[in-house]
Amino acid sequence: MADPKDGKPVPFRGGGFAPKPIAWMGPLVFVTLIAAMEIGTRTGVISNLTLPRPSAVLMTFVSLWDTGLLWKHVVPSLSRLAVGAALGATAGIGVGLTIGLFSHIRAGLVPVIAAIFPIPKIALLPLFVIWFGIDEASKYALIAFGTFTPTVVATYGAVDSVDRGLIRMGQSFGLSGLSILRKIVLPGALPGILSGLRVSLAIAIILLVAAEMLGAEYGIGAYILEAGSLYDLERLFAGVTILSLLGVGVNWTIGRIERRVLRWRV
Amino acid sequence: MDLHLDQITHRYDGAPVLDGIDLHIPTGRIVCLVGPSGCGKSTLLRLVGGLERPSEGDIRQIGTPPDGCLNPLTYVFQDFALLPWRTVAGNIALVLEDHGLPKSRIDAVITDVLARTNLSDFRDALPKQLSGGMKQRVAIARALAVEPAVLLMDEPLSALDSQTRELLMEDLVGLWTRQAFTAVYVTHNLDEAVRLGHRIVLLSRRPGRIRDIVEIDTDLADRRAGQADLEEKRAHLWSLMRDEARAADAELVTHG
Amino acid sequence: MSRFTRRQALGTVAALGALPLIARPALASTKIRLGALRFTSHAASFVALERGYFADAGLDVELEFFQAAQPMAVAVASTDVDYAVTAISGGLISLAEKGAAKVIGGSLSEEPGIDGQKILASNDAFAAGLTDPSKLDGKSFAMTQAGSSFHYMGSKIAAEEGAELHFKPLQKVGAIIGALKTSQVDAWSIVPHIAKPLAAGGSAHIIGNVSDYLPNYQVTTVFTSTKNADQERGQTEAFLAALSKGVDDFNAALVDKTLGEDGADEMVKLIHKYVYADKSLEDATPGIVNGAMRLNKNAALNLASVTDQLDWFKSEGLVKDSIGIDTLVDQSYVDII
Repeated sequence: MADPKDGKPVPFRGGGFAPKPIAWMGPLVFVTLIAAMEIGTRTGVISNLTLPRPSAVLMTFVSLWDTGLLWKHVVPSLSRLAVGAALGATAGIGVGLTIGLFSHIRAGLVPVIAAIFPIPKIALLPLFVIWFGIDEASKYALIAFGTFTPTVVATYGAVDSVDRGLIRMGQSFGLSGLSILRKIVLPGALPGILSGLRVSLAIAIILLVAAEMLGAEYGIGAYILEAGSLYDLERLFAGVTILSLLGVGVNWTIGRIERRVLRWRV
Repeated sequence: MDLHLDQITHRYDGAPVLDGIDLHIPTGRIVCLVGPSGCGKSTLLRLVGGLERPSEGDIRQIGTPPDGCLNPLTYVFQDFALLPWRTVAGNIALVLEDHGLPKSRIDAVITDVLARTNLSDFRDALPKQLSGGMKQRVAIARALAVEPAVLLMDEPLSALDSQTRELLMEDLVGLWTRQAFTAVYVTHNLDEAVRLGHRIVLLSRRPGRIRDIVEIDTDLADRRAGQADLEEKRAHLWSLMRDEARAADAELVTHG
Repeated sequence: MSRFTRRQALGTVAALGALPLIARPALASTKIRLGALRFTSHAASFVALERGYFADAGLDVELEFFQAAQPMAVAVASTDVDYAVTAISGGLISLAEKGAAKVIGGSLSEEPGIDGQKILASNDAFAAGLTDPSKLDGKSFAMTQAGSSFHYMGSKIAAEEGAELHFKPLQKVGAIIGALKTSQVDAWSIVPHIAKPLAAGGSAHIIGNVSDYLPNYQVTTVFTSTKNADQERGQTEAFLAALSKGVDDFNAALVDKTLGEDGADEMVKLIHKYVYADKSLEDATPGIVNGAMRLNKNAALNLASVTDQLDWFKSEGLVKDSIGIDTLVDQSYVDII
């Protein structure tokens, strides 16, 4: 038998393809980008037409805070977002459930949903103005409509993915249809519905700007549009930052809800 | 309550799966259905429990279910079918909630069945915290909670490793010995069949017909793994099943 | 063509005669892009192009059409467009502050005695008593965007009347018209060629003239990038001179009406190529004639009006306080009035 010392070590070929959380990486990228913007705009490498100076954006933000204008813009936007998204998501979950549960409704509605999903809701804005006027109703409707379709698709997908074995089990124990829906289908679909909500709510935030194009004196979207038309890059970026923070906040909230109600997940 | 199957024939899209099954399931006995994979034994179990309707023939209940029975024909599934979002107690409560029982009664039933299956300490655990064997014990406890007339067990031990399977078999024997229950027990494992079955029904490969029925009179509690008389029955069954199993194995899969 | 007029014949001869002129080597054509809206108020650009005034000046002008004033300002700042004629907007001032754009001349003006921009009230608001601009207090007033000329006009009118207005940004003129027709906004101010047909069609009521509040209002200006203003003096002067010829023709034909009916008809026909081109000439004519407001001769600029506008933008906090009039306007090109 050969001496084990004569052999060479087996070459290592594993590793990689296993994402690890690296907490400092995200903030580092942000800080680097912002620092590069600040230095670039100060030295003139980046012209003031191209990007605003981050410190000036911060000052804009501070003055928004000091003057109380921040809340004057954020509060109406949040209420539009809340009402619109709540309407759209509730209707979407309801319709998604009926599509998921009843073959006739599925056959009838899935093509309709597929047809309205890709319509840019912004294109329908004039129509919404005729239907709902230029006040809050049309803003709610636009956001609701935008959140509705992705919620429907996510919900019936989630219902489809509920373990049929669990439903058979419910039937075999003689559970009523309502009990099966409430105690098996709904909780089983909840993970899919919640991850669908992440997408729907992001779309709602996007549509907020569109909704505030028409007849909004106050609101983050109106503020951004005004900044854009004034070519005021500091305000534009301050507004966009608020939207980003809003998105992060919504995502965080859903994350918390998920952690709470989906404790049971493996 | 006895069950009686009369000339059961079943087809999927015209293809026969079961053909002319006549079977009697007497009260207080465990009837094992064995056969090569795809012989329609699980289908037969679904027919017996009313989850599917047979193409021909009928299945009758003879006599009345015992007092307090909430769900006469109750399944135990291979994959346990526990709701992952409910605790052990919650999973058992699920099948009691629809019957309008007072909360105290539900709690009492849960406590009782958990005690019978040695699960009292796991009352508030979530399924993800339990091993496979524990999950199946919970599923059995859930089945017992509705005081079934007949337990319909669909390969309940197939998803478990062999040690756990051995332990659960002992548990089942213990449960039956303390309080005899009626069961139809589907398995492809002849060891399980000769350990748990009073009557073993061997099905042929598709379309499933009854090839043989073997009665074992030895008391369940007296049976041990590798016992000579059981080994003999097992060998007999295997000799009948072997060719069927081989032929079945070589078939193209047309229905799962 | 039923009638071959003497003027048309002359025009044809002139056009033929112009051919060799274009080839003059000294004025080898410089390609420039000119931003415009499809409004009668932009007619000078169309005339100068159609009648070859730009070509005579050695400029090969290509028109770029926009939907609104603000994007035009951005296009000039990014040098996608060399020159443009449009209203002074907050965006334009901000771009001037960033050293990207400069106002170099004046164009459309309010002038006493010439039909100018109108103040409109919606039918419901009119029925509820908004019959005069003095009753605007508490009403809603439509504008395209904050910092647009509509915002300026509304504010100035409100200030004059001591009224408090709610401004409704609706982005597009079309959206405003829809909102006004359905009485979702109470009031608006707009050029006569839009105001008059709305009033005539019973969709709204004219309740006043903008010129009563903003006499000599410099509505639109000519502007360009700072680079063109500072470094392309020759080209910019040639452009303004050619544009001025277009202005003269337009004023003579439709504002002062010194060319008689034939002259007016011919001007309308020319403008119709660009404005209301989707309508027949007969249908388009009233709109074009109604929209004829004075364009400043020689692109002269009413600095007082521009200064007032700048001050208003500052007072509203729409632009930075530090901007001086010289940041916005290059006064070296045209007469200041």
